[in-house]
Amino acid sequence: MNDEFTGPAIEWARLWPLFAVFGTALVGVAVEAFAPRSARCLIQSSVAGVGLAVALVGTVLVALELPERAGGAARGDVTAGGAVVVDGPTVFLWGLLVVVTVGGLLLFAERRVDAGLPVFAGQASLPPGSTAGPGGPGEPSYEDWEHTEVYPLLVFALGGMMLFCASGDLLTMFVALEILSLPLYLLCGLARRRRLLSQEAAMKYFLLGAFSSGFFVYGMALVYGYAGTLNLAGVAVAVRAGGGQEVLLLVGAAMVMVALLFKVGAVPFHSWTPDVYQGAPTAVTAYMAAATKIAAFGAILRFLYVGLGDARWDWAPLLWVVAILTMLGGVVLAVGQTEIKRLLAYSSIAHTGFLLTGVLGLQASGDLAEGQISSLQAVLFYLATYGVATVGIFAVTTLVRDPGGEAGSVARWTGLGRTSPLVAGAFAVFLLSLAGIPLTAGFVGKWSVFASAAGAGAWPVVAVAITSSIIAVYFYVRHIVTMFFADPPEDAPVVVVPSPLTSVTIAVALIVTVALGVVPGPLLDLAGHAGQFVR
Amino acid sequence: MIAFWVLAPVMVIAALGILFVRKAVHAALLLAVVMISLAMLYAALEAPFLFAVQIIVYTGAIMMLFLFVLMLVGVDASDSVVETIRGQRVLAVMVGGIFAVLLGVIVGQAGIGTAVGLGAANEGGNIEGLAEVLFSQYVLAFEATAALLITAALGAMVLAHRERLVPRETQADRAAARVRAYGEHGDHLGPLAAPGVYARHNAVDTPALLPDGSPAEQSVPTVISNRGTGRPSPSYRDVDRVVGQLQSRRDDQDPATDTVVEGSGSAARGEDA
Amino acid sequence: MTLSSSTLLTSAAEGGHHSVPVVEAMSPDGVFSLLWLVIALPLAGAVVLLVGGRLTDRWGHWLGTATVTGSFVLSVVMFVQLLGRDDAERQIGQHLWDWFAVGDFQVGMDLLYDPLSALFLLLITGVSALIHLYSVGYMEHDPRRRRFFGYLNLFVAAMLMLVLAADYVGVFLGWEGVGLASYLLIGFWQHKPSAAAAAKKAFVINRVGDIGMSLAIMLMFVTFGTTAFAGVSAAAGDATESTMTAIGLLLLLGACGKSAQVPLQAWLLDAMEGPTPVSALIHAATMVTAGVYLVTRSNFVFENAPVAQTAVVVVACVTLLWGAVIGCAKDDIKKVLAGSTMSQIGYMMLAAGLGPAGYAFAIFHLVTHGFFKANMFLGAGSVMHGTGDDVNMRHYGALRKAMPVTFLTFAMGYLAIIGFPGFSGFWSKDKIIEAAVAENYLVGAAALLGAGVTAFYMTRLMLMTFFTKERWEPEVHPHESPKVMTVPLVVLAALSVLGGVLLLGDWVTTWLTPVVGEVEHHELPVPVIVLTGIVVVVVALGVGLAVLLVGRREVPREAPQDVSFVTRAARSDLYGDAINDGLVVRPGGVLVRGLVATDARGVDGVVEGGAGLVGALSSVLRRTQNGYVRTYALSVLGGAVILVLAMVAVTW
Repeated sequence: MNDEFTGPAIEWARLWPLFAVFGTALVGVAVEAFAPRSARCLIQSSVAGVGLAVALVGTVLVALELPERAGGAARGDVTAGGAVVVDGPTVFLWGLLVVVTVGGLLLFAERRVDAGLPVFAGQASLPPGSTAGPGGPGEPSYEDWEHTEVYPLLVFALGGMMLFCASGDLLTMFVALEILSLPLYLLCGLARRRRLLSQEAAMKYFLLGAFSSGFFVYGMALVYGYAGTLNLAGVAVAVRAGGGQEVLLLVGAAMVMVALLFKVGAVPFHSWTPDVYQGAPTAVTAYMAAATKIAAFGAILRFLYVGLGDARWDWAPLLWVVAILTMLGGVVLAVGQTEIKRLLAYSSIAHTGFLLTGVLGLQASGDLAEGQISSLQAVLFYLATYGVATVGIFAVTTLVRDPGGEAGSVARWTGLGRTSPLVAGAFAVFLLSLAGIPLTAGFVGKWSVFASAAGAGAWPVVAVAITSSIIAVYFYVRHIVTMFFADPPEDAPVVVVPSPLTSVTIAVALIVTVALGVVPGPLLDLAGHAGQFVR
Repeated sequence: MIAFWVLAPVMVIAALGILFVRKAVHAALLLAVVMISLAMLYAALEAPFLFAVQIIVYTGAIMMLFLFVLMLVGVDASDSVVETIRGQRVLAVMVGGIFAVLLGVIVGQAGIGTAVGLGAANEGGNIEGLAEVLFSQYVLAFEATAALLITAALGAMVLAHRERLVPRETQADRAAARVRAYGEHGDHLGPLAAPGVYARHNAVDTPALLPDGSPAEQSVPTVISNRGTGRPSPSYRDVDRVVGQLQSRRDDQDPATDTVVEGSGSAARGEDA
Repeated sequence: MTLSSSTLLTSAAEGGHHSVPVVEAMSPDGVFSLLWLVIALPLAGAVVLLVGGRLTDRWGHWLGTATVTGSFVLSVVMFVQLLGRDDAERQIGQHLWDWFAVGDFQVGMDLLYDPLSALFLLLITGVSALIHLYSVGYMEHDPRRRRFFGYLNLFVAAMLMLVLAADYVGVFLGWEGVGLASYLLIGFWQHKPSAAAAAKKAFVINRVGDIGMSLAIMLMFVTFGTTAFAGVSAAAGDATESTMTAIGLLLLLGACGKSAQVPLQAWLLDAMEGPTPVSALIHAATMVTAGVYLVTRSNFVFENAPVAQTAVVVVACVTLLWGAVIGCAKDDIKKVLAGSTMSQIGYMMLAAGLGPAGYAFAIFHLVTHGFFKANMFLGAGSVMHGTGDDVNMRHYGALRKAMPVTFLTFAMGYLAIIGFPGFSGFWSKDKIIEAAVAENYLVGAAALLGAGVTAFYMTRLMLMTFFTKERWEPEVHPHESPKVMTVPLVVLAALSVLGGVLLLGDWVTTWLTPVVGEVEHHELPVPVIVLTGIVVVVVALGVGLAVLLVGRREVPREAPQDVSFVTRAARSDLYGDAINDGLVVRPGGVLVRGLVATDARGVDGVVEGGAGLVGALSSVLRRTQNGYVRTYALSVLGGAVILVLAMVAVTW
């Protein structure tokens, strides 16, 4: 037996961006161990930056070289013994994830918004409230310290996400889920201000994340019980063959979906979202809100389309229910919110619902009318618009500050349009995009997911989606109105001028948001060019 | 099958016990029961490698670690079980019950036939078979686990480790500092006098008497003197009290003693009153 | 370009039912290639004014006026060019860029210039230019005048986008744009809480309409695979009638929101909180007519959906009476005009709902109404300007001496709206009533009654404002407005008088034929001249009643607090309250009250109640968000139960 063993074929040419990312993270850990403290931040951020650049270039190169499959309907390869699938959607999501991570990295490295201090806690192990070291003023303190571990953690999370949306079997998917989650749990607990809230957020995220992971494993076992394999393509074969204990498959799939829906924050698995988004450092929130959703939707699409594509009519009703609940829950809860980051958290829940609406649009390629938008294309495009706008909008929220940290309350933003029209204007554009007003990216994104769902006959869901996006317009625009049409309070919060790191992030996000609204064609084509999943 | 029906109830009861016992250490021990039972199940299912791993890693290493931590926290530590959210417990029990029943009915109803494929899987040895799967099909997941472990280690460092701002003070540093203080300010160089030892008092809070009979205030630990429970040297108070007794019995007194009492006894009297 | 009126006629004869023109545009050449500039000019103006900040304070208002005037000049030039062309060559499409394209589905940033848009272009840019000019004077003392002009320019750009888009998605873009601009402008005087509330209300109600509009577009996309006018109009005949009915009804819902038709009418009266030029431009002449435009433009949808067409007629009839009755009940001059706007748009919708018999007249009335209503709103603004921003007609009286120009121009508008023979409104309204009578007696009667009521309340307004006794406060000194305000009034007054020339030789109907199809000739039960006579008599009755009830009595300065009509009906004469007197009979009074109350509470109640419901639900749901992990875990577990159940329930 032993001498018969041959290792699986691992196509390094397809996988190397992934390994580059993991390698970068490992280099980061080594830097953490050996570099002197004063130089670490610079070295770490440069290492991460170079690694991300390499990964981005690599993703593009890999994308260009993907072989065509199924007569051009799909492109890509299954590799590493079926564990990883590098196909069109994968590289699209990879590219998107890397871009969003670059945005996250820039926000991580920002230090001008908080009076020259880093955005992360000086020393996380200190009890909340104690800021300084042993001495009094003039003595060394932890105040200007920084956890430079955040950079390797960020890169690890990216690696997990890239693996997550590319995984071809449930086991790899589970490992990837953990790899992406663990760094995020940690990062959530590292806010410099409001430590207690931040730690609480990390704790909640961790506990609930672990809870939902349990469901994933249980579901995985049941799916294995049905199909005799964890490989998604193998599951698809078993589903198509029919017979067997189908109920095992369904219950298993439902439980796997619990974990995946938890990650994207769908109702009723959403309750962690506002608390965690609020407590986490805003840079982390920006990154997490965008990237986790991208990766997890990649996984949801792959699990449902590849593994359960032929059982579509079994899971569609479930998604109908969840999508409707999520959209309505998100917007209804957002209406009553007075805290900016919580408001955005609920809005992200609503966006999860819109994305799920797009996921519902799955049709067999034969059923797809000529020229109709495919649901995969729609969801991929939506993820891009959402990701960019989310990073941008959270980046803007870091700029408006009270003495104790960011000005969280909506009321504090009153009249911002008078005092700093640029910041308020950028914020308004992002809000409009999230609201899906024409000529912003969000409109085209919404349009495409709704169209794809409507094409698949999910009319009730589309009706609810349109209703909730219109309710959503209300609270987005209400915020714009308070910014522009009310007088600023006496003790108005300070709007800081950030370093180029944050400014560039916001500017790029802004340009992309508007550009994708006016000429979305190229990106839509790119998403369409990604083609179908390779099994 | 027999092993399953014997072990399963034990595991379920122990697992429920983890939820319901109050003391963390009991929960940990119950967890050990679950894990050991699980290991036995693996053995019964012809998975010797998992059996060994389960015992060595989980029961051996992880459980011991849990227990160590619990010992550090204190074995007596127990959770508060007062539920403050109205309806939470009822709902939790209900939903949990529904979920359990649902899964029980569905999976039970599914009626899985006799297991097949174990022979094929274990052909050529259980460990070899496992290795085959692990290093072919799941090699990437296996490797990726490294990232998970590194993240975990990094996380532990970030959350729990406190780096020193200044190098740790060694004994030599401290000695040098003391001599420097003596040279500059004339601070006492040697060790401080130990608190006084008297039969009638807890010794630590009572200052020692210097050879000249005066109390050495520094000999009382600062914690106690800051708290205000330090007593003045008891000899004086006792003398004071004895003098008082003597005065009440006879009317002759020793004026020398009296003056000493006046010197340091006022605070003591105030405190006693 | 394959289409011509002759092929239309033949196909109409063959097809049995009326043939519907197909939108098929030719590429632009000559001056038409500048079509994009019509939108770009005001848009650029808006950008400069809103981004430029205080730098533009000094000349910003002139820039705003100049851009719109530029658009107007372009529109005129293009219109003249278009006049010189054959019917068959009067649809010009300009493709700017591909907005988004997915597979074969394309939404281009395409513009369509055809006779319909040409008329709209003239109306929008022309009236806007005048109103910009007027606003220079009206907003003179407002510190935020530059911003105001920025918003106005933004509005004009969006409105032009709305009428020039060649694709429903493009229309939707303009639709949202005018909604936004209207919202900004209603709430322009944000220091007034009532203005903020009105803006919010308009916003919320318009969202309901938008739901209809978005769903209609979605449905079109799914049915036809395209949302371009060209594609939809070509394929409209092939779709099932029920689909077309659904699309039609959804479009109607959208139109109701924007055009303040029952049941989404409640926002328009409150919208009068905005500055008067805004009321004139947006809430009388242009934006509110977008619904009529939508229905007319979508004629290929409605022609294939008779049920939806009937719904349009019903909504229109209800609205035209509803608005007229509200007009009788208000003392606020702008609100009377707003009610009359609702009512007049009801006429247009009615005509549009009548199909090919009415489309052209709907647009004709829309244009004339644009002139005379803008004229009257600006006149009202001028009156307010002269009386210290008082809007209560009870505080006016005998203003004709103090403000002769305003009075004369306003009178032209007044004569036009009541349909005084010869004036523009006479021609347009008469045609609509004619078509309505031919369609259905009941509808015709409603239209006729509406004309009478219109005459009544407009006369009442006229009398209370310009005639009767002086009732203004001693410290108010009414005076004529500056030239910059009166010149637009004079121009608009002239147009109000002369608007009827469009009908000469059936010009307007022929002109619109390529867009909406040939006007059907209808059989009237009585000769046209008799019907016209009847209309004139009814109008005269309305005027006479008003003169009798308002002109001959003392108008009290304060509105009588005569709330309970039933008990005080007898005494109401003593109060001489024109509102209650106006419809002396008790049922009439109850009707007025009921309508006004429904307007204030019922419909508002539904819409605002909906908003309130969302808010209440929000605060209830927020309680589940209590911050405890164990509760969150419970909800995850509950979700798992739901998911498993949903999954299993499907198969069992």
